[in-house]
Amino acid sequence: MSKSLLPMESFKLAEYAQQIPCYICSMDNSYDAEMCHWCQAPMALAHQANSQKLRPKMLAAIGASGVGKTVYLGMLLDMLSRQPQRMQILARGAFSITLQQTAIAALARREFPNKTPNEPDHWNWMHCQVTMPTRKHSAELIIPDMSGEAVLEEVDHPNTYRAIPAFLRHCSGILLLIDAVQLMEGSREQDYFSMKLLSYLSELDDDPKRGWKHRPVALIFTKADQVERCFDDPAAYAKQHAAGLWQHCRKRFRNHQFFASGVAGACSTRFVRGRGQITSPLRIEPRGIIEPFEWLVGQMNS
Amino acid sequence: MQFNSTVRSLVRSAWGAALAGLLSVLWCWYFRDTWLFWFGNLGVGASLLRLGICLRKERAPAVRHHDHHQEAIAAAPVEAANEIGSLVDQMLSDGRYALLLRPQIAGDLTDELYQSALQMLEDEMAIVPTGEVGVAVNDWDDPDSMHSRSEPEASEVVIRVDSLYIDRYPVTNEQFQSFVDAGGYEQSSIWHPDILPAVLDFVDRTGLPGPRFWQNGRYPPGMARHPVVGISWYEALAYARWVGKRLPTDAEWVKAGSWPVSLGNSGRRQRRYPWGQTMDRERANLWASGIGSTVSIDEFAAGVSVGGVYQLIGNVWEWTTGDYQTGAANAADQDAEPLKNIRGGAFDTYFENQANCEFSSGEHPLGRKHNIGFRCALGLCDLALQRQPDVGSAVDSQSVELSSESEVSEIEEVVA
Repeated sequence: MSKSLLPMESFKLAEYAQQIPCYICSMDNSYDAEMCHWCQAPMALAHQANSQKLRPKMLAAIGASGVGKTVYLGMLLDMLSRQPQRMQILARGAFSITLQQTAIAALARREFPNKTPNEPDHWNWMHCQVTMPTRKHSAELIIPDMSGEAVLEEVDHPNTYRAIPAFLRHCSGILLLIDAVQLMEGSREQDYFSMKLLSYLSELDDDPKRGWKHRPVALIFTKADQVERCFDDPAAYAKQHAAGLWQHCRKRFRNHQFFASGVAGACSTRFVRGRGQITSPLRIEPRGIIEPFEWLVGQMNS
Repeated sequence: MQFNSTVRSLVRSAWGAALAGLLSVLWCWYFRDTWLFWFGNLGVGASLLRLGICLRKERAPAVRHHDHHQEAIAAAPVEAANEIGSLVDQMLSDGRYALLLRPQIAGDLTDELYQSALQMLEDEMAIVPTGEVGVAVNDWDDPDSMHSRSEPEASEVVIRVDSLYIDRYPVTNEQFQSFVDAGGYEQSSIWHPDILPAVLDFVDRTGLPGPRFWQNGRYPPGMARHPVVGISWYEALAYARWVGKRLPTDAEWVKAGSWPVSLGNSGRRQRRYPWGQTMDRERANLWASGIGSTVSIDEFAAGVSVGGVYQLIGNVWEWTTGDYQTGAANAADQDAEPLKNIRGGAFDTYFENQANCEFSSGEHPLGRKHNIGFRCALGLCDLALQRQPDVGSAVDSQSVELSSESEVSEIEEVVA
């Protein structure tokens, strides 16, 4: 009968003894936890921040379901990683490339990407380094692709998704996406939803000096390729078609700006059995994608 | 009226002369031996002189009128020839040489004018030989199938194309300015009848007729040689008609770019890009080129096709005549009006596989986008590329005189 010796991995015990705080909600987690047990955010964000001694800023892209957040973020990341003249984005960690890969692969097939799941552990998170030719130092950013439905659920029923308030509370700036086509068609849903989100942000952090009142908010009309005049003057378009949102921003957010963006040059809609109405992009021609992000990063740094 | 007054004047003069003569005779008989006799004779002479002057006065206008008529007859061929010359010069400067080379017009031109038009055709357009070409079509599968896709799967159809001329370059702002200046937006005959009510809506930023991004009916400064953009499919069609051309079909456009070569039984070999089989960012203005706007038609010359057609890929999408297959299952799914095909990609086309000779996208025919332009085409059968030897320089002045007026009206008719 042979006796086997089990090595005593005391260093592992030491690691387990030390709790790692989640970068998003600051709750302690064990060393090998993949997701935060509290908010479901990936712990890789915390590990990277610790190992590289970085304090990345947070930036959120929010908006109603189907407004085009995944397409916008995926296209933004792909454009800035391919063409570094104005800004350059370098992903930190393999997980940071998934969002870009998913969105671009779908667009290349002339499809829009699938809807982002509500659960935060299924979201695509990105940690990246942003460099600008005009600035000496680069910026570190964490950007998640949040589900529009989950955000709305959290706004209506707080603490449903803990990652959302935890993340938005610490955000340095926000990209609020609004569907220009729905506004043009007279639907007020986008107007109400945007106002709801902005009110939620105001309540989340109403500090008179560092609260959301002073943080930069880029309001982006998406799908503007189907509403060409939106590109001419996005603020005028907001005043005309989203008067509530326009007034709300003027009163509650000192640092905001309207933008227009479009990814598909044109779309067609067809019926597919089992999938219902499918809208497909007929060609990919990004417009107004970089400008809001560039403005936001500039405001965050200043 | 003129005749009556002349007769009355002559009668008055004759009566006056007769009365003066009678008095003079009586005077001479009474004072026959005195100096007064001669005075009476002077009276008779004066009366006759007055009659003569009067007759001459009446005759003079008729003579002058006759002289003018003779001069006019002599100058008519020259003036008509000048009129034709200036009209043809204007048409050539407007790029409407294709109209002059129509069989019904070309025979009436002088050799010099005909050669000018022909030279312009060869400078501005490239020939595409007859032959077969494979054209990719969006094959949307059966919507009732459980395996329906949301993206089309390209399949190829082989189409035979007759010889044609296609513009070497996309139509520029400068060229389109001629159309706008000539009142092209007001000429209902060149517009598609269905679209006439919408023509009033084809205005620039200042509300004047013209492409969407122009101001005060003028193209933006420094953009003369850039492709015209912000024009709908109907505006492109109207311009093409105005210059005596038409929009290319999809097969014609693809053939001009892919330049297929028949390999007999082995099939056919055609290029994916005008310059070859692989993408080269130095040869086309796409998003990856990093320019971010249209460029002059003179740039990216390395992207020329075998036949000498420039910028088929990149810079601006180009309207063709074909309808885009959206794959809609029934009429309810279709857009109110079918989309029209656009080809070639533009300066902001992101994916390189969407800017080649095979790929087509769709756009609403009333869409006036910032990145869609066009080029024109013309079938060889529509042109008089050879003329009878006795026509042209052999035309003498007499025949010019006889045909000049009808010729001008015929040209003007075709132009209109």
